[in-house]
Amino acid sequence: MTQDPRPAALVKTPAQNPIWTRLSVIWLVPLVALAITLGVAWKSYSDRGILIEIDFSDATGLRPGETPLKFREVEVGRVETVGFTEDLKSVRIGVRVQKDVAPFIDGSAQFWLVRPEVSAQGISRLDTVLSGTFIEGYWDAALSPPETRFTGLDHAPLAPDPTSGTWVTLHADDAGGLADGAPIIFRGLTVGRLQNLRLSDVDEGVTVDAFIKAPHDKRLTSRTRFWDTSGFSVSLGTGGVSLDVRSLASLVQGGVEFSTFSSGGLPVQPGHGFRLYSGETEARDSIFDGGADTAVRFTLLFDEAVRGIERGTKVLFRGVEAGEVKDLSIRVSEDSLGNRVVRQQITIAINPERLGMTADADPEIVAGFMEGEVERGMRARLAGTGLLGTTLVVELTDIDGMAPGKMDMAGDPFPILPVAPATSNDLAASAEGVISRVGALPIEELFASTIRVMDSIAMVAESEDTRAVPGELSTLLEELGKLTKALNEQGAADKTIAALDQVMSAAERLYGSVEGLPETLVEVQKLAANAANMPLADIGDQIDGILKDLRAMLGTSDAEKLPRALSDTLNEAAGLLAELRAGGAADNLNSALGSAQTAADAIAGASASLPDVTKRLEALIARADALVSAYGERSPFNAEMLNTMRELRRATAAFGALARTIERNPRAFILGR
Amino acid sequence: MERHQSAALVAPILTARDAGLVGCRGCGRVWPQGTPTCGRCGARLVPVDVRGLQAVWAWLIAGLIFYVPANLYPMLLTKTLTGHLENTILGGVIELLAHHNYGVAAIVFGASIVIPIGKFIAIAYLALAVGNERRAGGHRHLRLYEVVEFIGRWSMIDVFVVAILSALVQLGFVATINPGPAAASFALSVAFTMLSAQSFDPRLIWRGPPDTAGNK
Repeated sequence: MTQDPRPAALVKTPAQNPIWTRLSVIWLVPLVALAITLGVAWKSYSDRGILIEIDFSDATGLRPGETPLKFREVEVGRVETVGFTEDLKSVRIGVRVQKDVAPFIDGSAQFWLVRPEVSAQGISRLDTVLSGTFIEGYWDAALSPPETRFTGLDHAPLAPDPTSGTWVTLHADDAGGLADGAPIIFRGLTVGRLQNLRLSDVDEGVTVDAFIKAPHDKRLTSRTRFWDTSGFSVSLGTGGVSLDVRSLASLVQGGVEFSTFSSGGLPVQPGHGFRLYSGETEARDSIFDGGADTAVRFTLLFDEAVRGIERGTKVLFRGVEAGEVKDLSIRVSEDSLGNRVVRQQITIAINPERLGMTADADPEIVAGFMEGEVERGMRARLAGTGLLGTTLVVELTDIDGMAPGKMDMAGDPFPILPVAPATSNDLAASAEGVISRVGALPIEELFASTIRVMDSIAMVAESEDTRAVPGELSTLLEELGKLTKALNEQGAADKTIAALDQVMSAAERLYGSVEGLPETLVEVQKLAANAANMPLADIGDQIDGILKDLRAMLGTSDAEKLPRALSDTLNEAAGLLAELRAGGAADNLNSALGSAQTAADAIAGASASLPDVTKRLEALIARADALVSAYGERSPFNAEMLNTMRELRRATAAFGALARTIERNPRAFILGR
Repeated sequence: MERHQSAALVAPILTARDAGLVGCRGCGRVWPQGTPTCGRCGARLVPVDVRGLQAVWAWLIAGLIFYVPANLYPMLLTKTLTGHLENTILGGVIELLAHHNYGVAAIVFGASIVIPIGKFIAIAYLALAVGNERRAGGHRHLRLYEVVEFIGRWSMIDVFVVAILSALVQLGFVATINPGPAAASFALSVAFTMLSAQSFDPRLIWRGPPDTAGNK
């Protein structure tokens, strides 16, 4: 019973140390390290932004990992990859954009490369030479579904922010001296730029977008006029010559100026179309015109030639200017018989305002109005206006007796207005005739000879001796006057006439007696032959030669010496006249005439004393009558006589003409003109 | 028990622990077990404990963790007038090779990649080996440990280069060198592996399995 109360031996099993008691605190270190590393990794992953892709035509200066993307000059991303599009036609740039900015990059975003640029306006973005090219982006603050694929712009946009101004469109006939980036000037201030110069898709002109910066765009109204100030203008007026150059940039690149000449315009909406006028004058003249874009176009087809019509030719609607010709071309078509018909196709633009409608009237309404007019007999035709009727216009007017016509509303390219024949059939011919007549004028020769005259006159007038001439001339004239007076006083003229009368009567009598005097006839015939043989033509030639020599002499440099020679000659002439007068030239003449009279009297006496002979010869005459009648009126003798007389008369006339010429214009004779 | 047997089979060497002694890690003098401090140098006498291996592993893992970003992130950020360069360690080596600087490439490759990775492998091997009681390899293990200890500080050569370059090349916009995120990671990684090597108790190389001494 007595048992040893010893407790049973303890079974010692070593306590299983739980794993955490065996773990050292040191294990926190790798845990913390892991946490830190993972944290950093997660942060850098989550912060790395969103990748967008932009396609550019080239990637000049872009370097992956370095080139920044900037928004308002603040870096918001970096180029990560530079690759190509699938077709290798452009470069695809991958840009990692910061997370906070990425949501704003939506469809409206624009991207372009910024690099240094040298243009007519100067050098821009020189800073990028050192910092390198970068990509600039612009997007608005509106949140739309973000996009990741974009196409970059080739050039920096003029106004990435459309709210900082107003975009309008300008239409011009040709680009003139304009270029992209040309300035828009308002009262001498550059307030905007042109961009996107392109051919118009409406007509034959060109269209350009213009951006006017914010405070200045308030100046734009629907009455604003734009005009081209490219290059420089020179104008010659009463105030002298004025040279107008706006700016060096506008000289090189062209420029556009605008102004609002009249009030009452409405504020413009972005995208409003304006006409670009070629000069300020045209712009001012057009105040009452509507904008070019509001004009409604019609097509005219003319069978006849429309020479003289050109772009800009006015279109009159019942006498009021309502538009202009926009385009001319040829249309080849086939008529109902299959013949080729070539017609002139003219496009006209009608301003609805001029038809009493609002400027923005619907083209269809305008066309409908025209259709109604056409039905009432209105036609388009060519008419001439202006002083000579050479300025052609297109007239839209009612023509009497015209059957109601119909307008081809579905015409191509615009509704076709029926045409009527031109007001005059030979319109083109007359227009051309005037031109050719003007062209035929020997203007150049006139100019040349005028210049030669001027030269001669100048040469003569400039010479010292010329100044001495007038005095001599007046003296000479005085002398001549005296001589004439003396001659008159002595009744020279009367006497001369009397003498001539006597000579004539003597001649008549002689003629009367001559009929019976074959010898005399033979003598006279010989005389006439001699007279006919007289070298009158030679004399004329000689005179011509002298005149030619005289002219040649005047043309030579020796002509300068002429005035001296001339004055000498005049002196001599004066002296000669004086001598003549002193020597009783008039008296001599008188006595000569007196002698002539005596001779005539003697002849008369002789004639009178010859009746016997006459009588005696009557028989002979009677016998000779047959002979004479055999000669007849057209006998060689008569013919010979007539010829001689004609020659004499012609010579006399020539001398008379020469005398008249000298009388009329002695200077001209002297100067050879 | 089987460990003991196997140990007895292969290990005729008498260790300090077998003799009931504890060695001072400071001066190497042995003292009877239970002595709290070394009578010669005053260092605390720590009994050999396999639990010290936990610290080795912990530091080693931390070092490994930091070694990953050290290789993924750029080491040097070089900004010059014309460009901007970011080089990772391996990228730098490849670039040096491309420029035919084989010597420099070899040095960088050795100091930054071969040595750290070799250290990781060596420490891990040692830690595993002592846990498995392989006394036969004692001398080899000790030599390996000494090499690791010696070479560990030289891994910092990369970090020094980066530090010196960053300090010297600060020429404004012409040229600037800044340490990248990898530099800090690499420094931490090297530091942690050094700590790992430090925490390794070389006496474990000679010691038997943890329980054998206590239960005998």
